Amino acid sequence: MKKSIAIVAFVVIFAFLVLGVVQMRPFGEPENEDMDDHFLGDSQERHQVNNVVTAVLFDYRGLDTLGEATILFSAVSGVLTVLRKIKDEKEEVED
Amino acid sequence: MTLIVQIIQFVLLLGLIITALAVVVFKDLISAAIALGACSLLLSLQFYLLRAPDVAIAEAAVGAALTTAILIIAIKSTERKEGYR
Amino acid sequence: MNWEMSRVVRTITDILIVPMIIFGIYLVLHGHLTPGGGFQGGAVIASSTALLIVSYGTLGKHKKDLSSIEAVGLTLFILIAFFGIGYTMFYNYLAGTGGIFGGTVPAGPNPGYINTGGTVTLMNLMVGIEVSAALSLILWMMSRESGIMEAKDKGSEGMEVKG
Repeated sequence: MKKSIAIVAFVVIFAFLVLGVVQMRPFGEPENEDMDDHFLGDSQERHQVNNVVTAVLFDYRGLDTLGEATILFSAVSGVLTVLRKIKDEKEEVED
Repeated sequence: MTLIVQIIQFVLLLGLIITALAVVVFKDLISAAIALGACSLLLSLQFYLLRAPDVAIAEAAVGAALTTAILIIAIKSTERKEGYR
Repeated sequence: MNWEMSRVVRTITDILIVPMIIFGIYLVLHGHLTPGGGFQGGAVIASSTALLIVSYGTLGKHKKDLSSIEAVGLTLFILIAFFGIGYTMFYNYLAGTGGIFGGTVPAGPNPGYINTGGTVTLMNLMVGIEVSAALSLILWMMSRESGIMEAKDKGSEGMEVKG
């Protein structure tokens, strides 16, 4: 019973993956090219940056980068909070 | 040139499948962690061939180096062999 | 548990550690010209820290320094973003003004000039500082708490958080 459910799920997911691969567009031909041309010209003209990826990361979508940096900061805060040494614990270990 | 790139991509994808299976199969956890690092390295090469060098650098640094180091530190502080209880 | 690898590993670490850090700094500083940027360069610098910890088993007593560096990086990132509040937040107010990082970029393909980019270059630098300090701090805390560094790092009472 369990094995048959697993086989059915595998076949269905594999069929969807094959369908996605078949319907994929050719490499390097996106659906909408207007925004690409706008970004390629505007990042050099208005923001004076050669690397368009960096221009998008730090200028067009700067708030997302701020959120990413905040996520990293809170992760470090969590690690420092969980792994700190409490005084009683340390004394027990030393005894 | 394109044929060579396609052959390299095929070999890389085959290696990805093999290393991903090795992560599941290995009973030694350090071997599994090293196989995960190899999987990340092959994935970063695949990203580079797909013309995404930013993602390739991030994947190589975070996936292949930092994740392996953190996993090895965690394994060293617990048990090395996988066990069923 | 004494965690210090063999002499071969330690010698190769000594040789490799400087090019890794220089490559990370290169990735951070050339983030507006070549592939790479703050996060990638910071991760490369943090992986050099991982190499140090795995081969030597210690990083000294720099927890407060790393924590301060991380906080300073994030704060300066937010401040640089906030200074453009006259237009919007994250407005590139330094681009093309001729000041620091204020050079102009010619249109089309060009070899790339380091003195361009405006706030993008400064934000790359700040994010690089923050990410490298944060990932190094995570690795340092995990390796200390997992008992790896207890054999060598006995006299470390001065920096621990008193509960």
